[in-house]
This record gives sequence, structure tokens and C-alpha cells, in this order.
Amino acid sequence: MKTVQTLKLVLIVLFLFSGLVGCAKPVTEDQAPVTQADMSQQQEAKGVDDKSMQGEAVPSHDQMAGMERIYFDFDQFTLSSEARQILSANAKYLNTMGDVNVVIEGHCDERGSDEYNLALGESRALAAKSYLVSLGVSAKRLSVISYGEEKPLVDASNEEAWAQNRRAEFKSVN
Amino acid sequence: MLLRWFIVLFVCCALPWSALAATEIEISSPGEQSIPLALTEFLPSEGVPSAQISGELNEVLVADLDLSGLFRFVDPGAFLDDAKLIGLYSTQVNFPQWRMLGSETLIKGTYSLQGEKLIVEARLFDVVNRRLLTGRRYVGEPKDVRRMAHAFADLVLKELTGEEGPFSARIAYISDKSGDKELWLMDVDGKRPVRLTNHRSIVLNPDFSPRGKEILFTSYRANNPDLYRKEIYSGKEAKVSYKQGLNVAGRMAPSEREIALTLSKDGNPEIYLIGTSGQVRKRITDNWGIDSDPSWSPDGSRLAFVSNRQGNPHVFIADIFSGKTERLTTRGKYNATPAWGPKGERIAFTRQEGGRFDVYTIKIDGTDERRLTFGPGNSEHPRWSPDGRFIIYSSDKGGNRVIYVMRADGTGSRRLTTLESDSRHPAWSPRW
Repeated sequence: MKTVQTLKLVLIVLFLFSGLVGCAKPVTEDQAPVTQADMSQQQEAKGVDDKSMQGEAVPSHDQMAGMERIYFDFDQFTLSSEARQILSANAKYLNTMGDVNVVIEGHCDERGSDEYNLALGESRALAAKSYLVSLGVSAKRLSVISYGEEKPLVDASNEEAWAQNRRAEFKSVN
Repeated sequence: MLLRWFIVLFVCCALPWSALAATEIEISSPGEQSIPLALTEFLPSEGVPSAQISGELNEVLVADLDLSGLFRFVDPGAFLDDAKLIGLYSTQVNFPQWRMLGSETLIKGTYSLQGEKLIVEARLFDVVNRRLLTGRRYVGEPKDVRRMAHAFADLVLKELTGEEGPFSARIAYISDKSGDKELWLMDVDGKRPVRLTNHRSIVLNPDFSPRGKEILFTSYRANNPDLYRKEIYSGKEAKVSYKQGLNVAGRMAPSEREIALTLSKDGNPEIYLIGTSGQVRKRITDNWGIDSDPSWSPDGSRLAFVSNRQGNPHVFIADIFSGKTERLTTRGKYNATPAWGPKGERIAFTRQEGGRFDVYTIKIDGTDERRLTFGPGNSEHPRWSPDGRFIIYSSDKGGNRVIYVMRADGTGSRRLTTLESDSRHPAWSPRW
């Protein structure tokens, strides 16, 4: 009997207690989980240590004396009649310089997609190369490289600068 | 027996509360709705008070949450005394005070700086329903403070929209700050730039591997535009493709087993698939014109790219299995730099109109084209954040080309890199 009474008492107390807990605002028992993130465990990118890394500046070739540049219209890699004339003169000159190999650099003006301009510069250099080959220059002596819009001749943003920058250059590699 | 009673009673009492707590704040997409948010300054819980720590936490959270477009900030000048009280649990917050200020959400937090150890506790509360929505405890060093704030901003977006924010990620880009065009990495707010390459040549066009461990890029280091890969954490670097001519615009497939890129080895810029060690697997394009700048669909079945096969540069989509190719853009005379959005539905690109380039997006069926930028200057090279909420791009409106971010609807644009040096080709990493 006594045990039952004690049990009843305990239950009543418990009921009141849990009622307090449940019906009042929960004390520090928010339902949203609060987790921990250890930031020092995250990996960081490895940057360049300037002292330990010895990069070499890439050598650039000089424009060949006796070889003139050719120019292109915006977003075009077809050869104008003027460009063809210059290429004919360049071919004659190359044929007198039997052992010189040439790299043809294709360039673009700064306008437009950089990625597309890399391809456009390549197409310009390739167009110049195939015309030189058609004029009797050995394909083995000619290589091409596109710099897209990365190496402007004139560093300005106007029609005149852009016209100068849409070009192919001819450089000796021996 | 007692325990059983206790559980039953507890469940009875707790039930109505959990039912109430299930009320959700509904948000559809950025910019469409704004939730009033009170962002309080983080308070020192113990240790040394530091204006710098609380200042940086606040600065990052304001910038990230404002960029999200989800919130309208309650003026901190109007805050009452509860803003100065620590409140990490809903019982410690004076919700009626915040409700009175018109706020529906509340961010509170503390920091504890002890020697080289920094602990930040951050909480997001629902003021209307008077409950804690989410919280996290960040443990680290003082140098981690900005990352902690970015991580919490990501969590806040996840709690309120179901999709995590992209603020803990990084942005890779090309800058000539060191004198040459090199690969750099920065936080998504433009802070903490780190240079990753030392090629002293021309480095171009970075793109992350889908799991974010590597960056692909092109470099002229060996006197030819070759494709490289670089492990971000170890710094290890290797040439992937170095065929004669172009090895550019390399983009790793979602599977990470193949790379789409532009090669000119066959005498004309075409798009190919190569294996991760450089062997050619498949040629995607074959025509007289230029084909370049591929971008993967999120499922890895298609590539968007630029081609001038019909005269002017336009964006096309090729199915890599069937080879079937369709033109996407029809307007304008110069469309380029496609970037397939992470949700798969839209593609961002640039178009030249009236002598200037601007950023557009279009649905992949060619409908619903939207112009996002309106000058001044050229806006180019769009790339999506991993959640599709934002677009980064380069703009030369201030002179040098520098990097900007905006929401995917074109609003909220802001500059990320300094005007002093040229920064371009941004790429947003997957979640870090």
C-alpha cells in the first residue's frame, strides 16, 4: 500500500515536472542540431613559394628581317589580296634562305572570347602557312603558334590598335 | 516501469512542440522574396574580445547573405538591448523585441579567442516561431575566421532554401599581378588571393575538376599552348596534352574520366575527347571552321561549344554519343564562351552587340534568352557557382579587365578583384 502511494506520488511529481519541461519553453533543448566543424582539418591550396621555385622566362623570337607581317579583318582568317602579296614576297625571300626555319605566330585583337581567339589565331597562322606552302616553301620549315589576344603589338583599345593586332608574324627559329 | 511512464509522459508533452516546430519558412528563388533578417555582432563569450574577429565575421556574413538576395537586413542602428546579450539558445533570446523591429530571422553568435585557438558559435533563429533553426560550432585558429563565416552563410542558405550556399568554395582565375599571367586562387569574395603557378610565361583558362581537387589550365611554358593539370593541395603539376598546336580550353567530364578540349593537330581547331593522361579517345567536331571552348552538360552526355561553321561564331550543342549537333544561339553575329549551368537547364554565354560584349543566358532548347549585363565596357567569360545561384565574369568597365560576381538573374553585381591588375578567366570551384 505504501509502495503504491509512493509510486503515485512519484508519478504525480514526474507528471508535473515533465509538464513544466514540456509546456514551458524548453531549457537549452532546441531541436535544431548544433554540430561542430573543425576548420583546421580543412586542406588549403598550396601557393607558390617565390623563393623556392625557379621559373624561366620563355624566350621570344624576333620578327625576321625581310619578312613582313600580314593583317586580318575582325573575326576573319581569310587572306586579303594585300596579305597574299606580302606572303608572295615572304615566300621569295624564304626560298633564298634555304636553311632557315620559321614559326608563324597568329594573333588577334582583344575583342571577343579569349578561347575562341586562340583558335582564330591558330587559323590565321595556318592560313598563312598553307599559302606559303602553295608558293613552294617546304612545309617542314614552317611551324605555327597562336597567341590569341595575349600578345598585342599595340596595347590600346581603339580601331587602329585592333587593326595592328590582328596579324600573323614570321620569326626564325634556328 | 517508472522509466516507461516517464517516456510516455515526455512524449505526450513534447509532441505538440515538435508539431509546432515543423513550420517551415518557404523560399522559392533568390531575388523573388526577401526575408527580414537581424544580423547581430558576434560577442566574446570568454577570452580576449577582438574587434577584428567580430568585424570580419560580420563583414563576411553581410556580404554573402546580401549577395544571396534572400534577405532584407534590419537596420543595426535600431537594435535594442537583446543585440548585446549572448543568446545561443532560443530560451535566451528576447523574440518579442526582434519581432517588434520587423525581423523574421535572427543571427546571433559568440567567439572565444584563447591564444591561437578560436571558437565561433553561430545560430540562426526563427523569430516568428521563436525557435532555433540551425547552429554550428566552428573550431580553428584566428586565420580561419573568414572561412567560418562563409561556412555559416552556406548553412543559413541551406536551412532556409534546402540548398547549401557556394561561399566556402574558391575562385580560380588568371592575373598578371606578378608580372606574368599566372594561375591564382581566391575566396569567393575576392579575398585571400594565392598564386598557384610560377610559369613566367602565359597561363590561361583554368577549370576545376568536378570533385574540385585539380585545376586544368593551358600554359605556354614549353613554347606551345599545352594543357596542364595541377593538384590544388599538393601543388603537383603535370602536362596532360602537348600536341603540336593548340591544347586549350580543357574541361574535365563530370565522370572525371575524360577531358574535352580544342586541338589543332589535324590542321584546324576541333574539339576532341582525351583520356586523363592525354591519349585521344574521340573527335567531336569535323568541319572547315573553328570549333572551340567546350562546356559539359551536368550529366556528361552533351557539350556546348562555339563554332563559326555557319559563318559567324555561334553556340552549338553536340551529343557526344550520337554526334548529333544543333545550333543553340540564333541572334547576334558573335556568340561565345558557353557555360552550361549546374542545374542543366540554362547556358550562359557572351554576345557582341553594338561593338560590346554582354553576358546572356538561354534555355538549352534555345528559348527564353535573357540579357544579364548592360555595359558599360565588355562583360565576358561567364561561369556559374556550383549551386547555380550566381555567375562570375570579367568586365573591363573600370579600365583593366577584372572579375565580378552577380546573381544568375543579373542583379546584385559587385567587383571581386582590384582594379590595379588584370584578372580574367574566373572559374568557381565545386564545394570546398
